[in-house]
Amino acid sequence: MSQSFPGDALDDTPSRPLIAPLAPMLTLREEYVNGSQGFVKQIDYLISEGWIGVRRTRGDGDCFYRSLAFAYIENILNASDTMLAATGALSVLEASQPQLEQVGFQRLVFEDFYDCLAGLINQVISPGPDGQVLNINTLLEAFNNPEVSNSIVVYLRLLTSAEIKTNPEIAAFLIHPETGEQMDPESFCNNFVEAVGKEADHVQMNALATALKVNVNVAYLDGHDPQGKVSFVPFQNAPFTFLEPVNLLYRPGHYDILDRRDADPIPPLLVQ
Amino acid sequence: MAVSTRRLQKELADIKRDGTPVGITLLSAEDFATWYLSVEVLGNTVYEGEKFALKFRFDGQYPISAPAVQFVVDDTYQAPVHPHVYSNGHICASILGSEWSPVLSVVSVCVTIQSMLASCKKKERPPDNDRYVSHAPENPKKTRWDFHDDKYVPSSPRRSTVSVLTISRRSV
Repeated sequence: MSQSFPGDALDDTPSRPLIAPLAPMLTLREEYVNGSQGFVKQIDYLISEGWIGVRRTRGDGDCFYRSLAFAYIENILNASDTMLAATGALSVLEASQPQLEQVGFQRLVFEDFYDCLAGLINQVISPGPDGQVLNINTLLEAFNNPEVSNSIVVYLRLLTSAEIKTNPEIAAFLIHPETGEQMDPESFCNNFVEAVGKEADHVQMNALATALKVNVNVAYLDGHDPQGKVSFVPFQNAPFTFLEPVNLLYRPGHYDILDRRDADPIPPLLVQ
Repeated sequence: MAVSTRRLQKELADIKRDGTPVGITLLSAEDFATWYLSVEVLGNTVYEGEKFALKFRFDGQYPISAPAVQFVVDDTYQAPVHPHVYSNGHICASILGSEWSPVLSVVSVCVTIQSMLASCKKKERPPDNDRYVSHAPENPKKTRWDFHDDKYVPSSPRRSTVSVLTISRRSV
């Protein structure tokens, strides 16, 4: 195993924004046209099903958490009743703090990350330090600021860890990704959840969707379906949510956000 | 205010209010870039009567990025003779690298290192000490370590098993 230092890449010249503006799915298709036709077929299938947009994220091992966080907050922003959606999300988050303390995280180690996430959601309904409520541009800006973006990722990692440690139904699924051995929740979380840059697998995804009370659909693009179809795996653990599900696009080793729009809307204030 | 400053202010306030665990003392924390703490191993161990100092260096992304941690080697302090500690003070410990997590703190790192020393039965340097020390970068975070497993069970409250790994590494 080779040791890397989590967080060290944060200051590197970014090859790709942490979270990019929404782009047409055709831009992703172009990258496969001269390569795997299996992927091209599946992308065409997605487009035919109305998934015409993709919001890409940097492939730094945090992409699942970052994609989910962005899409989650954007769904609050786009909810028909933003007040209800934001207060609902904030009360779920508020309740998550005792859960974190219960599994042994000191408030000291998570409160800055919590404030960062809760502050951004609160800005959907009440003006932030700049006197403005959140819009898609300021949300993108926040998620491309490494300090804000990574703080949110860390909070979601801690929340995922707390859910794994407190939810007995999850224990049976804690398997070492390389050796296939059963792991105890503590070492699983130390090694594969809490450390920055460690990719999420089904267990983490399921735990986080449960903890945040958000439904998540993941479209799996693997280039192997003979009919060129794409299977969607639902993580539906929130029967009573005010929010639309979060839709993610998986390609081997990476998550992006899937969308039915192919470009970000222009925030109302900028429309002349 | 940088996220690191905010967090370190809180850690410092905690230390001033609640003190540090037995055997660990804050030597200096004059800014939010470099702190020094001393570590003694209690009880009947191979390091009985010895006192070591740890130097922590933080960048603006702490605690998301790991601090650079090493033993001080100067006129007053020496690095402990330990299979995972090089004579220049560099430490090969996974929690300072790939298993770093923002839930760790300066004090919990000290506690983990104290436990690593406490469980040592035989004082010896890493087998490649001389080779490493002659080429080591000044900052231990610039070393890329390759690990072999070797488990210690520390008394740290939040991490039940911390693997401290060693042997070969290559400089980057």
